[in-house]
Amino acid sequence: MIVVEELSVSYGAVQALREVSFRAETGVITAVLGANGAGKTTLLRTISGLKEPAKGTITLDEHSLARQKPENIARLGVGHVPEGRGVISEFTVEENLRLGAMMAKVNLSDGLEEQYQRFPVLGERRKQHAAKLSGGERQMLAMARALIAQPSVLLLDEPSLGLAPQVTAQLMHTIRDLCASKGLTVILVEQNASTALRIADHAVILYLGRVVANDAASIIVADEDLRQHYLGKVE
Amino acid sequence: MKWLVAERRRSLSAALIVVAVVITSLLAPNPRDRVALGVAIVVAIVGVATLTIRGFRETHPVFARATLTVVALDVALFATYFFSSITNFNLAIGAAMSIVLLGLSFLTGASGQISLGNSAFMGVGALAVAIWANHHASTPMVVTLLIAVACGAFVGLLLGLPATRLRGPYLAGMTLAFAVAFTAIVNSFTSWTGGDAGLQLPTAVTPPQWLSSFFNAQTSLLRVNTMWLADITIVVTGVAFFFMANLFASRTGRAMRLVRDNEVAAELVGVSLPRARVIAFMVSSAYAALGGALWTLINNSVSPPTFSLALSITILSLVVIGGIGTISGALIGGVIYAYSTNVISWFTQHTGINSQGNLASQLPGIVFGGLLILTMLFAPMGIAGAVRRVWARRRVRMTP
Repeated sequence: MIVVEELSVSYGAVQALREVSFRAETGVITAVLGANGAGKTTLLRTISGLKEPAKGTITLDEHSLARQKPENIARLGVGHVPEGRGVISEFTVEENLRLGAMMAKVNLSDGLEEQYQRFPVLGERRKQHAAKLSGGERQMLAMARALIAQPSVLLLDEPSLGLAPQVTAQLMHTIRDLCASKGLTVILVEQNASTALRIADHAVILYLGRVVANDAASIIVADEDLRQHYLGKVE
Repeated sequence: MKWLVAERRRSLSAALIVVAVVITSLLAPNPRDRVALGVAIVVAIVGVATLTIRGFRETHPVFARATLTVVALDVALFATYFFSSITNFNLAIGAAMSIVLLGLSFLTGASGQISLGNSAFMGVGALAVAIWANHHASTPMVVTLLIAVACGAFVGLLLGLPATRLRGPYLAGMTLAFAVAFTAIVNSFTSWTGGDAGLQLPTAVTPPQWLSSFFNAQTSLLRVNTMWLADITIVVTGVAFFFMANLFASRTGRAMRLVRDNEVAAELVGVSLPRARVIAFMVSSAYAALGGALWTLINNSVSPPTFSLALSITILSLVVIGGIGTISGALIGGVIYAYSTNVISWFTQHTGINSQGNLASQLPGIVFGGLLILTMLFAPMGIAGAVRRVWARRRVRMTP
């Protein structure tokens, strides 16, 4: 379980997060929603150590994550799939996956086999360069790379960005499966609220760096005022 | 007949070995040379046969690299017996330079950092060997070379630590400052370094007695000496290239490339960016120092002004011309550097340019500058990249 308390983050004079507090329970998908500039990506970057908070705490089980180096947080079991995916085009699918297992103490061949079973298309293309993959396949590769290190927490930043609706649906289905089968704590940042709320158990809505709603996904979907003010049209 | 077809590789290798033994017995003047020539040819044939086994390079990458290194060393060492003194000297210089280029190629191509101070790192290795040899003449050569490498790595560490906070032009600026300051630093410790005059090695590197009896090498002392220097340099180069090829393919090498391409992704998979950058800097400067140390052994002396900023720029140009981030690019760059002097002197002879004149002294700069422009225009990935592209196109065309 990840507990974020009173988290504030600034970029110079601009305050991106203002005293954000929420809990992401184990085995639950927590969607973080909001418009552009709400602070969603900053929140994930702060949890994974890429951005240092001005104040506040982040706790993973009994470990404090705030102000830790990203590599140490990764070793504590936090997998982060950043926006833009971050796969290396000149590496093959398998080499990209090996990168994910590089610093983790996991059995590489078992890990590779597990990811190829979960994402069969990656298994078929294991010797191909990542540059030749489609957008959806690249997203799968980025997720598989994070999963190969056997994280207990998975941070997903806009996984549906630039993907066709069908591919997005398939991806969301995989995320749901992962959460159920492996008991992962998933924090899913999405601009596409409908997509995220369809699979999320819990949702946090950010507006200009503040938490304006923090409740079960079903309650947020049912609250018409909230949807209209902060999420636009939710199907 | 069926067996011959099924075991094509083995039967071909066996046939080649028989032919080699026959040629050996015809070529070599005495039994000792026959054995040497025979062993060299057999090693080359077995090595090539092993390397061409389908899937061998994928299933046994380290063994494949080791085999390739042994075959290349076998051929290169053997060739030195037949080369002239000048060719062997050029070969030694080219091999030493290719080590320096390989280090910079790793720094730039694999970790995405830049250094304009590689001539100074070379100077560190060159001076370390000369100073150590002048104070401890009895130290074995391998130990002296390792000391030079350690000195280079240490200076790389000192510069690499602040470099972790610098990027692009700022990093280039810092390494440039080191290159510029190197001569002044050396001149501040003249009692150790000899200042601009440099240092002479107390004793020349001499070949072992047994070497001179092979292939009539004893015809001239100069020939034996240059052949021995070329042999030493080639072996050290082979080991350095083997180590680097494995480093490129290793976890560390992949981590470096991840840092180069996507720092965020690197941090998220647990790579420490400062550590990766410092290691890259240390490896690069250790390689430059090794190249410089060999340079001192080849020339039997060290002259600090040689390791000027101009040499740094030449090194960077050669890395680009050969192909940044490639092993073969460093070799190509080394060969170009080694034989550029010959090409330039041939050019001055055939064009009537005064070899002592101002134009002739500027010719190396003009040649490397021209080559750099041509590379940028026609082969942005360097000669190695262009060859790889042509080869890939050819394979696509040949695929039915």
